[in-house]
Amino acid sequence: MRNKNIVAGLFLTVLGLAYGYLTTGLPERSLPNMPGPSFFPWILTFCLLVLSVSLLVQGLRMAPDDPIPKPGLVKPEGDSSPALMFLGAFAVYLALLPFLGFLLASVPFFAVLMALYEETRKLWIASLSLGVPVFLFLLFRDIFNIPLPRGSVSLLDSALRALTG
Amino acid sequence: MNPDVLQGLTQASLPINLLATAIGALLGLTVGMTPGMTISSGIIIVLPLTFVLNPEFSIALLLGLYVSGMTGGSFSAVLLNIPGTPSASATAIDGYPLAQKGEAGRALGISITAGFTGGMFSFICLYLIAPLLAEVALQFHAADLFSLVFFGLTIICSFAAKSLIKGLLSAIIGLLIVTVGQDPVMGTARYTFGDANILSGIHFLTALIGLFAIPQLVGSLTDTGISTAGARQTFGSIIPKSADLKRMIRPVSIGSAIGAFLGILPGVGGPIAAFISYDYAKKASKNHEDFGHGSIEGVAAPESANNAVTGGALIPMMTLGIPGDPVTAILIGALLVHGLAPGPLLFIEHADFAYGVIFSFFWANIFNLIIAMSGLRLLVKVLAMPKTVLMPMIALFCVIGSYALRNSFFDVYVMLLFGLIGLAMKRLDIPVVPMLLGLVLGRQLEEHLRVALTSSKGDISVFFTSPFSLLFLSLAAISIVWAFAAEQRKRSKFST
Repeated sequence: MRNKNIVAGLFLTVLGLAYGYLTTGLPERSLPNMPGPSFFPWILTFCLLVLSVSLLVQGLRMAPDDPIPKPGLVKPEGDSSPALMFLGAFAVYLALLPFLGFLLASVPFFAVLMALYEETRKLWIASLSLGVPVFLFLLFRDIFNIPLPRGSVSLLDSALRALTG
Repeated sequence: MNPDVLQGLTQASLPINLLATAIGALLGLTVGMTPGMTISSGIIIVLPLTFVLNPEFSIALLLGLYVSGMTGGSFSAVLLNIPGTPSASATAIDGYPLAQKGEAGRALGISITAGFTGGMFSFICLYLIAPLLAEVALQFHAADLFSLVFFGLTIICSFAAKSLIKGLLSAIIGLLIVTVGQDPVMGTARYTFGDANILSGIHFLTALIGLFAIPQLVGSLTDTGISTAGARQTFGSIIPKSADLKRMIRPVSIGSAIGAFLGILPGVGGPIAAFISYDYAKKASKNHEDFGHGSIEGVAAPESANNAVTGGALIPMMTLGIPGDPVTAILIGALLVHGLAPGPLLFIEHADFAYGVIFSFFWANIFNLIIAMSGLRLLVKVLAMPKTVLMPMIALFCVIGSYALRNSFFDVYVMLLFGLIGLAMKRLDIPVVPMLLGLVLGRQLEEHLRVALTSSKGDISVFFTSPFSLLFLSLAAISIVWAFAAEQRKRSKFST
């Protein structure tokens, strides 16, 4: 708890200072007797700095964290590698989405996620990772009238156009 | 009958809107009973789908989800001893022992019936109180509105969990995010770095999808697995017997009254109402020694309170624009997306819609009862649904939902960024719900503050001379001081 409070306090203090610095660039007052666009942000800067410094002080005054957690008292944090893999897959997917479009990008993404959630049946992964994105693409395009991104890779795009009409 | 009431009733009873309520109820039961899924997450995931639909259909769907989510939470509480929603925690105390005795059907039947009664009681409260409160609220000026929104924000204290400072910081971050983009009074660009995407601000729904759904998806990766054996047991009859119905009268009356009342108070919410009702029902019962060992009164009281909270929470949301709980905060956002600002003017400018919401709530309770009773055996199979399919689908919905807001990839990237922020906050034990309130109420807070100060020519005494404003500021002060005192008490208890 002590370390968490110190880290959070430090980070938020820096955030408060950065926000305050950016607020100095805003106009102070637009019309006479009227609080300007920077009025509310200054209140927030003040509150953020006071509270984050309080959290930092609170953290520093706490007893050091027990390096060996007592069984039953502390929840194990668990292995963070699946979480990192998930976030990595998500980031790659979002980076490819504008180029490949929803359908082409979502099929491998869905398959990777199913594998990450420990699905082992290959046929099940293949059929669902193909079926679900296609179903959602058509559902949103034809029922909800929300066209999902089709991508900008010309060859794939024209192939898609031919496939989906 | 008031023509607006009639119009609202007609609107809510249109077949298409009834269908929306029924779909919402089905989704709500599913979301509610799935351990790890919250009603808030369920609503956030479904919300983007409603943008292209008309507001009446959308709100009917979301209310169905809200009401039934509460009931769904009790299914896993009774069958698995894992409350599907925090509000169902008290139900598990007696519901699970009943299921272990082979009376799962009886426990679930009582839970559904009690929930329905609580929901209908809160519908009556909503119908009678909301228009009256809206009339009073129409007299509010900018200073009163600022103080009211400020008071609404102090419900943060209830969600601050382990640390009040962290709760307040979370809310400040939410308010800070709202300041990005054009300011609400003059339209001056703030913190945009010259980027046209940021000029219209960060859409709070994009932020919410990231904050709520991404940590949930990541959390599910490391779940050790939940035994769903309880979902496969036989139930027996789920229709309550007349003897059980008689025994339910007192606890359901207690639960409904407590739930509806506490629902109106911002920030109290379902779990507190459920436990208080449980406690009162136990004290009022002739068989209080049965509590904790499978008492039907112990199931009926918290379940009626849970569902009564929903109608109660809608009262401040609709009349004052102040959320009673996190779900109503999201519902405010849903209405804003459709250009409808909850608050006293809703009953003047869109009175038919306001009554439509009230009657949709009525239908949501009816469908909740019908679907839960008739589809229980099928519904509990959801408890055994593999996360290997569910979670990737939720991930795709997050992407579609944030993209569909403005057909912009920028929003999708912002969603992921907020997902990372949500994960960091979880890691640092900073609660997310206060940030949600900051995101939803921030713009109003700034607007009312600046308008009030402009009209008073910068004189801050305007907040203390108006009786309404003074009342709300006093309540806000009490709320904060109370929370600080409670935290101090907790700390001194731990240190001794």
